Amino acid sequence: MSAGVLRGLRVLDFTWVLAGPYATRILADFGAEVIKIQSRKTARGAELNTTGYFSTWNRNKLSITLDLSCPEGRELALRLVGMSDVVMENFTPRVMPNWGLSYENLKKVKADLIMISMSGTGQTGPWRDFVAFGPTIQALSGITYLTSFVPDSPIGLGYSYADHVAGLFAALAVLASLEYRDRTGEGQYINISEYEAMCTLLGPAIMDYAANHNPVIPRGNHPNYALAAPYGCYKCLGDDKWCAIAVFTEEEWQTLCRVLSNPPWSKEARFSTLRQRREHIEELNELMEEWTAQYSPEEVMNSLQGAGVPAGVVKNAHELAEDTQLTTRGFFVNALHPVLGKTTFDNTPIRLGHTPARFQRVAPSLGQDNRYVYQELLGMSHQELSRYIEDGVIG
Amino acid sequence: MALAGLRVLDLADDKASFCSKLLADMGAKVIKVEKPGGDASRWVGPFWENVPHPEKSLSFWYNNTSKLGITLNLESKEGQEIFRRLSERVDVIVETFPPSYLEGLGLGYEALSKTNPGLIMASVTGFGHSGPYREYKSCDIVASALGGQMYVCGAPNTPPLKPYGQQAYYVASLFASIGILLTLLERKHSGRGQHIDISLQEAVAASLEHVMVRYFYEGVIPKRQGNFHWNPSFYLLPCKDGHIVLSPLMEWETLVEWLDSEGMASDLTAERWREEEYRIQHLDHIIEILQRWTKTHTTTELFELGQLMHLPWAPVSSPGEVLDSPQLKARDFFVSVAHPEVNAYFTYPGAPYKFDRSTWNIRRRAPLIGEHNAQLYHQELGFSRETLDELSSRNVI
Repeated sequence: MSAGVLRGLRVLDFTWVLAGPYATRILADFGAEVIKIQSRKTARGAELNTTGYFSTWNRNKLSITLDLSCPEGRELALRLVGMSDVVMENFTPRVMPNWGLSYENLKKVKADLIMISMSGTGQTGPWRDFVAFGPTIQALSGITYLTSFVPDSPIGLGYSYADHVAGLFAALAVLASLEYRDRTGEGQYINISEYEAMCTLLGPAIMDYAANHNPVIPRGNHPNYALAAPYGCYKCLGDDKWCAIAVFTEEEWQTLCRVLSNPPWSKEARFSTLRQRREHIEELNELMEEWTAQYSPEEVMNSLQGAGVPAGVVKNAHELAEDTQLTTRGFFVNALHPVLGKTTFDNTPIRLGHTPARFQRVAPSLGQDNRYVYQELLGMSHQELSRYIEDGVIG
Repeated sequence: MALAGLRVLDLADDKASFCSKLLADMGAKVIKVEKPGGDASRWVGPFWENVPHPEKSLSFWYNNTSKLGITLNLESKEGQEIFRRLSERVDVIVETFPPSYLEGLGLGYEALSKTNPGLIMASVTGFGHSGPYREYKSCDIVASALGGQMYVCGAPNTPPLKPYGQQAYYVASLFASIGILLTLLERKHSGRGQHIDISLQEAVAASLEHVMVRYFYEGVIPKRQGNFHWNPSFYLLPCKDGHIVLSPLMEWETLVEWLDSEGMASDLTAERWREEEYRIQHLDHIIEILQRWTKTHTTTELFELGQLMHLPWAPVSSPGEVLDSPQLKARDFFVSVAHPEVNAYFTYPGAPYKFDRSTWNIRRRAPLIGEHNAQLYHQELGFSRETLDELSSRNVI
């Protein structure tokens, strides 16, 4: 962990499941020493080290075990804080203070500490203690309501997108705080609300309602505010095969017509301008689909993109894993995991020209780095460590 | 402010204008450089008063808070020279042009970093600056399709569905802003800047939670599951006045007791339902009974009572309900931003992070077209009023 942009940065990572681990994964990918605190009691589900889920979100990190429910465990946690730059946690708001690990207490042992608390709805407010997972937050934010074909039957995303979003904001907040610490010498406390994180990605919809009282409603793959038509997801040849197409400019429209061999309908008045095409988008989409249905989505995409019209195959997981663009850019990384064998995970989309992300180690096994962290970093003797392990404090 | 002193030129359209907004609201001095007449993203709605107008785009307003704005014609020789001089005076450039466009003007990263070795340039494009698709065109729905998002969104009997809004642009902007701050920290050691290459497709593919994990580790190709979360831990059901997201399997005994107290538990009180395995196998039956029950309640009743019992439930909220959220109000999430030219204040979503030292705020509304031309060209390059008028008459500015 000596190389990389964030070399020398030590992050004490109390986070679990996805939102927090996704944030600390970014820091670890770029060389921060991320020490993940686990415990035998809680290493289950998403926190079970030998699962694909865990290994995907926790690569490049160290793992130590520590039982925070006992006073000795909390004492050790404070000693670890003393040698860390950043502390991150994503428990419900009462957990860290109940352990005596509030920011107020932590900064007594490390004055310039940067601490980030991430939670569903934030550390304050009437809903602060509400239990929230990705789907809960997505429902509250409006994205579940808006992601559908009709208003009275919401669908939503079906996966915990909001956890990624919160993780990205958290990583950004850490880096901004490091910048601030470099300049002022001061650490700080940051509290992040996943609810608010998701709302910020719906800014224009929220502003439309606030400014105009427009009823903002779901409309499937309608272009909405995008100045495009045709625009949508078109059925292609084969079972469950689709291609997205979006035609923005007049030039793209002319090109599209040419690729389609100038069908008579393309000359009709109702499709003569972008405005007209947007107004008649449903009829236009039906006509488009008569064409796309004759070809595979790859053929549709290649003939349109080859001529300069935005189009993209709707790819499933298998097709994504084999996508030539992604694989050419090395988006999927292989690594040998001692328990899981050959594993594959996603690279980071943050492609830095000179100092790229590094994959130096697969996700840790439970407590794998106890010796390094407690003995080498904290200066514990072998006997001390053994006693803590026997007592279950480190365990 | 955390990023006070950081200087940024923003050449991005709506694909990444959110990136430098994130930096500007944390204190960076961001100068938006638009073509004369304004950037095309000013025509992206919704619009204030529903009138399409380049100074009334709410999405442009939202994505460009706290920035200053100048106009410059990059396709004229003089414009390119002016841009070169500006680029020597900044730390960061954010841009969204097709991969070879700036290079073709002699304004690519290689060229600009010769005179400003510390320069950081973040390029956000559909597919990145390398690979066979690099010249292909993209947009939100194309990125959503090729990034693997659309295939898993929607219901089994519907076409794939693009998640609402320009999610690909926002996620890519977040990755880009993180990349910028990483390279800034690195620059302190090496003294040199870097080019950051962000692909919309990769940004989407990197935020799919379980999708690729299950493929790589279990060989499963996740499909569209409608109201189901990918695993049966969440389900979306109708109430009297809307919909609720609930967890049909968690805290089972509490849930059954609650239903039973209202005489709606049917056979779920039976011993066999206490086995989680059995519940998963017979989920349809549970959903049927739950749905009969949720329809007798309002979303608010179920949300508040459910949360009292530590159930991670939530009402499916519309933007209007989001604006009324007592939680968001209590945390002062919404910010009122002055638009002095129309003598009005507008409500904006604020920041999801609260820093207790460095401040975050929207310092001003998005710039009007060329609003800071006189001020900035004078300040940065020493142009006189006459030079400006002259450049303007030749459509350089």
